[in-house]
Amino acid sequence: MERPIFKPIGSPVEELDTPTVIVDLDILERNISTVASFFKDRKAKLRPRVDLHGCPALAHMQLAASDTVGGVSVATLGQAEAFSGSGINDFSVRGVVVTPQKIARLCALARHAAVTVAVDNPSNVADLSKAAAAAGVQVKVVVAISTKPDRLGVEPGQSAVDLAKAVGDSAGLVFDGFMTIEEKLKVDDVSQLAAESRGWTQRAIDAREAAEAAGVSVNTVSVGGTYNYEIAGATDGVTEIPAGSYALMDAKYRGRRDGLEPAAKIMTTVTSFPEGDKIITDGGNKAVGMDRGNPISVEFPEAKIGLSAEHGNIGLKTPTQKRIKLGDKMWFTPWDMGVTANLYDYMNAVRGGRLEAVWDLPARGRYR
Amino acid sequence: MDNYRPAVGTPIDQLDTPCLLIDMDALDNNYAVVAETYRDTVCKMRQHTKNIKSPRLANMQIQAGGTLNGVCTAKLSEAEVMVEGGIIDVLIPNQIVTRDKIARLAALNRLGDVKVTVDNADNIETISEVAVEQGVVIGVLIEVDTQMNRGGVRSPEHGVVLAKLAMSLPGVKFRGVMSHQSADGWPDADERMRLSKELIGICLEVKDAIEAEGIPVEMVSSGETFSYAAAAQILGVTEVEGGSYALMSNIYGYLDEFQVSNKVLGTIVSTPSPNIGIGDFGMKALSTAAAANATIEGISGVTIEEVQDEHIVLRSDGTEPFVVGQQFMLLPGYQDHMPNRWDQYIGVRKGVVEQVLDIPARGCHH
Ligand SMILES: Cc1ncc(COP(=O)(O)O)c(C=O)c1O
Repeated sequence: MERPIFKPIGSPVEELDTPTVIVDLDILERNISTVASFFKDRKAKLRPRVDLHGCPALAHMQLAASDTVGGVSVATLGQAEAFSGSGINDFSVRGVVVTPQKIARLCALARHAAVTVAVDNPSNVADLSKAAAAAGVQVKVVVAISTKPDRLGVEPGQSAVDLAKAVGDSAGLVFDGFMTIEEKLKVDDVSQLAAESRGWTQRAIDAREAAEAAGVSVNTVSVGGTYNYEIAGATDGVTEIPAGSYALMDAKYRGRRDGLEPAAKIMTTVTSFPEGDKIITDGGNKAVGMDRGNPISVEFPEAKIGLSAEHGNIGLKTPTQKRIKLGDKMWFTPWDMGVTANLYDYMNAVRGGRLEAVWDLPARGRYR
Repeated sequence: MDNYRPAVGTPIDQLDTPCLLIDMDALDNNYAVVAETYRDTVCKMRQHTKNIKSPRLANMQIQAGGTLNGVCTAKLSEAEVMVEGGIIDVLIPNQIVTRDKIARLAALNRLGDVKVTVDNADNIETISEVAVEQGVVIGVLIEVDTQMNRGGVRSPEHGVVLAKLAMSLPGVKFRGVMSHQSADGWPDADERMRLSKELIGICLEVKDAIEAEGIPVEMVSSGETFSYAAAAQILGVTEVEGGSYALMSNIYGYLDEFQVSNKVLGTIVSTPSPNIGIGDFGMKALSTAAAANATIEGISGVTIEEVQDEHIVLRSDGTEPFVVGQQFMLLPGYQDHMPNRWDQYIGVRKGVVEQVLDIPARGCHH
């Protein structure tokens, strides 16, 4: 568990114990309203993907602001359990739940929350049905549509329709529609991004059309994310977008998404300044995170950032003219905030340079 | 935070996955190797807890032997956890620079002997001031840069200046010198000895220079997993800061006296085609360092095709087809980041749960 020295609400941000996550509330609110205005009066709705931060306080802001489906998207059952304690009662789990232990947990959650889970396999449908019927609960089920061969889900054709029908015929289960379980597209080129995300979306639309042609009615088609919400959200037949990164943003999306700016940064402290072109801080890989790419230094955006496990190392091209003292703060924009948020138990919500709230992250580490 | 505490005796195949396992036989082996290596040497192990983040695991090495009954920690908050776990001799081989953190270090020194490394005169002065205010004495060691290119003095002269300063100030006690080197895989034992001598030698030069000024150097804390055997043979080194050796990982395969004991247990949740199995954990639970050079145990003929954020895609060569619900284990390439992402280890022996070990220093970034 993190053990920061807490500071009173209203404290200047530079006085907070480091390394720590600082969320700029003005930027966060702008990001949330940018996305909310896109979804205003649109057929497709937002289902905030909250596993990217694990924070109920933030999830409630996302749900309050946008035209949403009224529920959230999570990656694991454990995350849904963590959020269910905070008044959120509609979950869509972007994954399949196959083991007896997990199916039992799913049914327990379905007693007091609306729960949607994905399937890609008929024997799993039978297992879910048996457990849900025995527990006397209803579980909403979407058929997972793969985005490419050999990935989670089924092809959009006959196997998707067969699974949909099997769900519809199963006690305790309600067939709700289709979902793609996507990795983020790692492409910079805007037209390539549009083409690839349309390709993924189209597979879910194909499944919808095939099901409807077979007389199965489809309520939900859930596709896309922050990287393509305007594309997916404007596509006929799509009903919800599980986008999440738009709220806190990160370096990976910075400059690639109009109206969205990084709201979350890591504040660190200079602990050593051994050479004029090298600044050592207390934020290493374990605190800043670099699984998907290097963070960007706010003060020295051109610097080469090296993170060993416990130390940050800002490598400058030439010795800095700035006077650097031990104790100075150095800020970083993480490359992927989903990775970084998972390292923390708290986030500091800051407005105008002063601490406004400390947010708990109870869904951190819920891999099960 | 997760709080998964399966009952002692639970068979592995009934565990709710993913979970972070410790193979207790492998751990015992690793601790026994260290106990044996340092049994009769002057130099002792001071286990680094960055890789374990659990005082319980550190206390197991202390009981097994070969140590000086103390540990190193990467951060101040990690040191607090160790002191609370009953380990009062702690070295933080890192810089603590802000006044409020130094005050916290001082408070910890009311119970423990918690030392810190320094490389800067202003820092030593601040530690002195705060320690005097708090009425305690804080031990300091001079950190020497031998290879890592981060904190640490770059010359014996600078080391001497700082040691003299520490000697002259109230509230601080000069204890010695410290350095850390990194292992990028030096399979050959002679080469490891040569490199260890060369790099640790830079730290020993600082020691010699300080002693030449008539200042006694009590501690020389240096060496880590790759150099654990070599450092014990280098005259002057009093303690080794081994971290990775305890739970081990694939990249240290050349140290074949140790065994990988930290593994992630997962379940195949989908088989989109006969030779593809999708597992129920991904990068978030692992880290890139753990995922690179990772291997799979428990299903034969399997390689890792892709590590996604929440799933892992495995490919089989056809030896053993994947089955939904089947378990597998991942052996990490590099283990260090995993305890920082999990809240419990499940200690297993002979196929059943032996003990559940909390990871109280997880997230101790401060
Ligand atoms: C100062 C210090 N000492 C010791 C260690 C432990 O090294 P190893 O894991 O190679 O034993 C580390 C690891 O980064 C370290 O930073």
